[in-house]
Amino acid sequence: MHPFMRGAVDWIRRRAENVVAGLLGLMFVAFIVQIVFRYFFNFPIGWSSELSVVAWLYMVLIGAAFWLREGEEIRFDLVAGSLGPRARRIIGILVAAATVVLFAMSFPAAWSYVTFMKVESTSYLKIRLDVLYSVYLLFAAAVIVRYAWDVWRLLRGAGPEAIDATKTSSGL
Amino acid sequence: MNLTSPFSLALIAIVGLSLLGLPVGHAMIGGSILWLFLAGRDMGTAAEQLLNGMMSSQLLLAIPLFILAAEFMNAGSIMDRLLRFCNAIVGRFRGGLAQVNVVQSIIFASMSGSALADAAGSGKLMQSLMTRDGKYTPAFAAALTCVSSVIGPIVPPSIPLVLYALVSDTSVGYLFLGGIVPGLLLGVVQMALIALAARRRNFPIEEKVALRELPRITWQALPALLMPVILLGCLYSGVTTPTEAAAVAALYALLVSALLYRTVGWKDVYHSLTTSARVTVSLGMLIAGAMVFNFVITSENIPRTLSAMLQAYELSPLTFLLFVNLTLLVLGCFLEGTTIILVILPVMLPTAQALGIDPVHFGVMAVVNIMLGLVTPPYGLLLFMMTKIADVSLRDMVREVMPFLYVMFGALALITLVPDLTLWLPRLLGYKG
Repeated sequence: MHPFMRGAVDWIRRRAENVVAGLLGLMFVAFIVQIVFRYFFNFPIGWSSELSVVAWLYMVLIGAAFWLREGEEIRFDLVAGSLGPRARRIIGILVAAATVVLFAMSFPAAWSYVTFMKVESTSYLKIRLDVLYSVYLLFAAAVIVRYAWDVWRLLRGAGPEAIDATKTSSGL
Repeated sequence: MNLTSPFSLALIAIVGLSLLGLPVGHAMIGGSILWLFLAGRDMGTAAEQLLNGMMSSQLLLAIPLFILAAEFMNAGSIMDRLLRFCNAIVGRFRGGLAQVNVVQSIIFASMSGSALADAAGSGKLMQSLMTRDGKYTPAFAAALTCVSSVIGPIVPPSIPLVLYALVSDTSVGYLFLGGIVPGLLLGVVQMALIALAARRRNFPIEEKVALRELPRITWQALPALLMPVILLGCLYSGVTTPTEAAAVAALYALLVSALLYRTVGWKDVYHSLTTSARVTVSLGMLIAGAMVFNFVITSENIPRTLSAMLQAYELSPLTFLLFVNLTLLVLGCFLEGTTIILVILPVMLPTAQALGIDPVHFGVMAVVNIMLGLVTPPYGLLLFMMTKIADVSLRDMVREVMPFLYVMFGALALITLVPDLTLWLPRLLGYKG
């Protein structure tokens, strides 16, 4: 990869980390505020739970799109990991290409769903849903670009990413 | 259903893509898009299901907050104090340090909802303590940390039980209560096995802590020991929702670490946030994928079909539970547990309901089974993680894990056969089931 591109990708990844960590902090604070208002001021607020749900949605989609490396996601790498580098490269190309095709295929329909949602807004914060939901388009676009880049990279002969089972996430 | 139906092709795509290394969440979204395309549906439905599903699941927010609470606890010096407390109690027996490992896991389980977090949090420390001066073999120490960590998500709080609550519409509160006795049972069988092995293998005894030291050590560990009390208190007094209880737990952990033990600074807080966020994002992506794919499963009426098919065999509830256990064990050999909870359990639930099996019992049993999958070869995430942390070979560790697996499978059989073991505590606190 060109050093400038490498730098840009790293920069995006670090900013995405800041955003995602910030959103988790925001969610945490929103909950505390909500509890304090209800029990100490006897004043239930609705916007805080809406805010934390929005933070959750954005955390997951932005984090998956711009932050996490593929090896940090939840996946089964047992089969892929047991193959030789050549076979893994070919399989890597096929899997990445299929991902690009599937996400690209549904992109126009996702676009029209999201833009159609401009007719509705959230109940407390009055955020228009097309604006709110556009994060999905960002996510889908990032998936397409990332896997297209993978196809390109593997076709040009780069080796597949080493598999490290300890990096794989799990919620268990 | 034939092999070229849209559903079969989508399923093949999902299994194929994820076995070949695509993250499971992405694979489920991709496979669902394929189904929508083949079935001639609007492909925007994938986006719709994902967005609306994520926006309407308040309950799920408990997951990042529980992870954060455990992370704050890990960041502070709480683990040290907890270990000293455990050592003062069980260190005096033969195989003392091994018993400490289990007791520590049980206590930490009541603050954390994740086995991997438990192993990562205490794994390194326990490993160096246990192997120092050649007290225990590295393989035994690593194996023990693995098996004791599976108690983490069975004793509340529990991430897998929150996920189960989501897919089964069961109360998180009662599920958490239901996990307590089975979790303790697993701890007891592990400790019994250690006690037996201790005499045979001549495990060392730790230096006795004088009884008059006990109040001081307990006092120092008290803020950490209070965490489960606060958590369960919030939940069962009805003061907070389960999600709010998770936020309170996280706040408490932060305050204890930062103010009382003075071991956490801003930098650590940011680090805890990113560590928790990493797990949250990968788990969230899997949940998002499952939400899209579950729409496909429901549209195809799979759970009903399976239920009708199984009922045609006139299974007894017990045979069905055995069938479920065996299926989960086999699936657990190559599937990751959260996927099983989010995708496989919803398919089995209608049958369980039709057979009159209690959803809390079913959920706790399934989660215990799936947790055992974490330490069952060939595909056991905890085993893989521990080989790296402890730097021991998988083969040596598996040999030490096996006896524990046998007794834990015994405990699972007991949990399956005796629903009261799970349901006694929830019923005591008002569960009508």
